[in-house]
Order: sequence, then structure tokens, then C-alpha cells
Amino acid sequence: MSVLAAASTPSVATQLFGSGLIGLREGLEAGIVVMILAAYLVKAQRKDALKWVWLGVLAAVVMVAIIFFAIHYGTSTVDGLTAEVIAGIASLIAVVIVTAMVLWMRTAAKNISGELKAGMEKALVAGPVAILTLAFFAVGREGVETALLMVGYAENTAGSSWPLIGLLLGILVAAVLTVAMYFGALRLNLTTFFRYTAIFLIVVAAGILSYGIRALQTGNVLPGAGNFAFNLTGYDPSTWYGTVLAGIFNFRPDPTVLQASAWVIYLVVVLALFLRPQSSPAPAAATTISASETHES
Amino acid sequence: MRKSTLALMAAAALPFSLVACTEKSTASDGDVIVTATDDSCDISATTGTTGKTTFQVTNNGSKVTEFYVFAEGDRAMGEVENIGPGLQRQLIVTLPEAATYQLACKPGMVGTGIRQDFVVTGDSQAATDESGQLAEAADGYRRYIRSQIVALQDTTAQFVAAIQAGNIEQAKALFPIARTYYERIEPEAESFGELDPKLDLREADLEPGQVWTGFHRLEKDLWVTGIQPDTNAVADQLKVDIAYLADQVNAADYSIDPTKIAGDAQGLLDEISTSKISGEEDIFSHTDLWDFQANVDGSQAAIAALNPILQERNPELAQRISDRFADLDATLAQFRIGDGFVFYDTVTEAQRQELSRKIDALSAEVSQVQEVVAGQ
Repeated sequence: MSVLAAASTPSVATQLFGSGLIGLREGLEAGIVVMILAAYLVKAQRKDALKWVWLGVLAAVVMVAIIFFAIHYGTSTVDGLTAEVIAGIASLIAVVIVTAMVLWMRTAAKNISGELKAGMEKALVAGPVAILTLAFFAVGREGVETALLMVGYAENTAGSSWPLIGLLLGILVAAVLTVAMYFGALRLNLTTFFRYTAIFLIVVAAGILSYGIRALQTGNVLPGAGNFAFNLTGYDPSTWYGTVLAGIFNFRPDPTVLQASAWVIYLVVVLALFLRPQSSPAPAAATTISASETHES
Repeated sequence: MRKSTLALMAAAALPFSLVACTEKSTASDGDVIVTATDDSCDISATTGTTGKTTFQVTNNGSKVTEFYVFAEGDRAMGEVENIGPGLQRQLIVTLPEAATYQLACKPGMVGTGIRQDFVVTGDSQAATDESGQLAEAADGYRRYIRSQIVALQDTTAQFVAAIQAGNIEQAKALFPIARTYYERIEPEAESFGELDPKLDLREADLEPGQVWTGFHRLEKDLWVTGIQPDTNAVADQLKVDIAYLADQVNAADYSIDPTKIAGDAQGLLDEISTSKISGEEDIFSHTDLWDFQANVDGSQAAIAALNPILQERNPELAQRISDRFADLDATLAQFRIGDGFVFYDTVTEAQRQELSRKIDALSAEVSQVQEVVAGQ
């Protein structure tokens, strides 16, 4: 295949597939946190708070569109390294918010034994700002990169429009997958949903952290870009499963030492915090609920 | 709630406002054409010139690829990621220094990639210098370096002559004086590869099998072991190595990057605090304080060359540095005897700590200079 490919330009199918996988990955990276966030809100019967999610997503999308059109029709472009640094910083912010949210929901939920719903509701009282920011960063961190890709693909000097079509199709597939996961998550019962999505979210956040660190290493902000922890030969990240794993968990077969360490440390620390037994069952639960309810109304 | 939301959105948008724009460019004759496949990376040129270089990267493979330009130490200078099959993407990179860079295609986006060297020649474009101040600073500092080299050659010749005449006392007296001129400009000598180890290697840093030459070898002969059969040869070699250093520094094309001057100023202070404060530099002769003073003088000269720029961009910093230098000089003056200094083994631990504190305080200020000079 590679011999053939070297001889001439790749076939239309290859072009579509290659670009499609990129779109799929970028789409999943952007969508997954938003998906869980939305599912949380719906499960907690706080559909009213969904508007903050959409506002955050909208803000990010608007920003992406502005960047895309400014570059496409303007005379300036963002250099790739700058985009890396932006994505890196945004990733770190997203990780902080996700972590705070997961750990906070846990306390809030456990304090009111049995009344998980009320607990989540309480956790979401102070939420709008956090929800909006998280949605914004979850989408925005991939958005800048995707905007650059779109420009590159739209202005593709090779003249073929297949890669751009592939990219857009990939994003579409990612959106469909995200929505499917969302409905899958909705079908879980509340306790199961809370526990498993929280663990899932922690793993996703570890991936985002590791992604952010790699981006900052590439952008020369952090050292050790050439210092690999390991390199799995035979694992091909440009396959569909590689793309999905990269899209959901930001997995890559050649992490740097710093990336891998951060990933492990984050997972161990945050999972331990999340799974540690709750110390006091909090007898004041009932008053907490009523207090929060009166406070809210 | 609304107000705090707005504030947060503003804060959230902050990282995105850091976006640095670069000019777009269109394809032209000078572009470097990169053709990538799943297992090859063909590049149309292996050399370039400093400044902007445009790479046109085409992926003819079946895997998504990436293209990177690395400087020494795998520092990324530019990258394009996610180049799908059949896609052509453009990368514009500014390569400021004449150096060997590496170009890498990464089919499948993993590992270190398929690499090859890209040799860039031409004038340094590290900093734009509209007022000419930077060039003037570099010229001033280069004049200083060259003046020190003349004195270094002169005093070293006297030092070597004293050794070879068997005049040990005179040689011991000349040792710290010849070193003074070397210690003032050591970071420049270090920029010529293996020269610094030849001239200034300490016994403790000798590696197995390495021939020990330079000042410290002669120091041991003079103070500890007495004249050895090869002492004269080592002394001759010292003259030869310094003559080589002089040739490098006096060469017409010897230039100093203005941003490196601040690095030199800092480097000289670091020398003191990392390896000299302990007294291990001149372990046999205990003439460390001569070296201290020389390092401080050299650092001050480097800062002086940059002073017009500092005065313009950050006069407060310039003043603080000037005060700290004066303070450190005054402290060192306590140890002066005539033209020289007391031996370092007579300096108490408390006095060493005081020196160390003053050097660190100065170093903290000097460390800000590079950014001021590099920033526009």
C-alpha cells in the first residue's frame, strides 16, 4: 500500500478516510465532556441549567468561527506552536474544573444519603458559571486547533476538496457518536450513572491533562518534548480504533515521560479521593436540603 | 450572577487572546517542498538561509502525518499537525540563527519521525534592531572581550616564562593575575567547544583517560607536587590554547548575539555561586577571590554594554543592578590586600555566606535583563 501511495497521490477513499478520522478525533475530544455534563444535568432534573452548557458551547463555536473566517479571509494566520500553547492552557483549565466538579458532586451527593438527586441539585446551585466555563473550554480547546485545520483544508493548495469533505464528515460522525453515548448514559439508573460517569470523567480528564502537557511541551513552554516514556510499536493511531481511543481518552502510543507521569499521578490521586470512603454520614442532611432549597428559591 | 458570569467569560477568553498572528504567505519559488509518504520524507532542499522559510508539505501516504522543524535539543520551531492523505499544507517558520535544524515527518503521528538535517546559514535574525542599539551593545561587548584577550595573552606569557625559568614564587604571584583576564570572559571561551576544558578543567572534573592541561594543572604543580617533567610542555600548551582562543575572538566573523550578552552576565555570576563560593575552583592556591572579582567585573562589563538599552526600557532595573554591583564590590573590597586579595581559606563560613547572599541578590536582578533586551 505504501509503495503504491508513494508512486501517486492517494485515492479518494484514502483521502476521505484519513481526514475523516481527524475530524472524528477532534469532534470526540470536544464533545465528550459536554456530553457527560449535559447528561448530568438531565439526570439531576436540572434541564433549566442546560442553557449554560449551550451558551458555553455556543461561545466556543462562535470563537472558532471568528478565528476561521479571520484567518481564511485575512492576511494573518496563527502559527501552529501558538495554537498548541492555547490548547494546552485551555486543557489545563478544563481539567481543573472537571476535577473540582467531580469531587464536589461526590461530597454533595453522599452527604444526603439516598437522595442523590437532591445532592446533585445542590451541587449545581453554584453551577452556572462553572458549567458555562467548562463547556466553553471543553469545546474551545479543540476549537482553535480545528479552526486551523479547517483553514488549512479549505485552502488546501493541492486543490482537492476531498480532505475537507472528509474532515466535516468525521466531525459529523463524532457528533452522532456523542449523541448516542448521551442517550446510552441516560438509560443508566441514577446511582450507577453517577458513579460510572464520574470515573469515566476522571479518566477523560487525565487524558486531557496529558494532552495539555504534550501541547505545552510542543509549544516549548514545558521541557522534555523529546523524552518519551515508551513507544508502542505496532499500535497505529491513524486507525479507527486509534482515533476513537485518542478522541475519548487522548491516548497515544508514545507519551513523553512528563505526560505519562502526570496521567498516572492524576488518576491515582483523583480516583483515590473520589473512591475513598465517606467519613461522616452527615446527620444534618435534611436541613442542608431545605437550606439549599430556600436559598435557591 | 450575570456580572460574575461576564467576568468569568472574560477570564475564560484570556488564553485565546494570547493568539500571536503570523503573516500568511503564498507559494513561491523559494519554498521547500516536502513530500511525505508512510515511510519516506523527501525534502527538496537541505540548506536554507536565516529568516522566514516556507515549507509546502504534501502527504502522499495513506496515514495522517505531521511535519516538524526542530532546533537543537528537539525544541520545536514550527509544526503542522493532522495532514491527511492527499493534503498539502503550508508551514512558515522563522529560523533566526545560522545552525543545523532538523526536519521531521511523522507518518501516523507517532515517535520521533523520519528526520534529516537542514543547515541554515546567514546573519542572525534573533532580534529586530531598529535603533541599532543592540548592534552597538554587541560591538561594545566584543571590544571588551578582545581587549581582555590581549591582556590574557600578555600575562599568560609572563606566567609561563616564570614557570619555565624555574621562578616558582613569581609564577605563583602571576597565576591569579593571568586567570583574571580569562575569568572575565569565560562564557565566550566556553562557546568555542572544547576550549574551556583544555584551559580551565579542575582535577575533580577529570574523566578517566583524559589528559589534564590548563591553569589548574599548573596550579597543582606549583603549589602541591612541584615541577613535573611535563610541566613546561603543559605551560606551552596553555599558551597555544590561548592563542587559539585569541584567533577565534579576533576573527572578522566573530560576532556576539546581543541577547547572549545578558546570558554571559548571568553565567559569570552563576559560576561564582555554583562552583566558586565553596572554594573548590582554586583548591591548591586559594586564589578564589581573584576569580570572584574577575567574574563580577566581566558580568558588570556585559551589563554596561547593554546599559543604554536597559536605561531606556527599564531604568529601575538598571539602577537596582548598579546598586547591587556596588554593594558586592564593596564587600569584596574588605578582602583586598594591596593589588590582590586574602587567600580564600582564611575567609570564614559566615563571610562566605554573606558573599553568597549578595551574589544571589545581584543574580536575581541580572536574570531579568535578557528578557528586557530580547523584548521589543
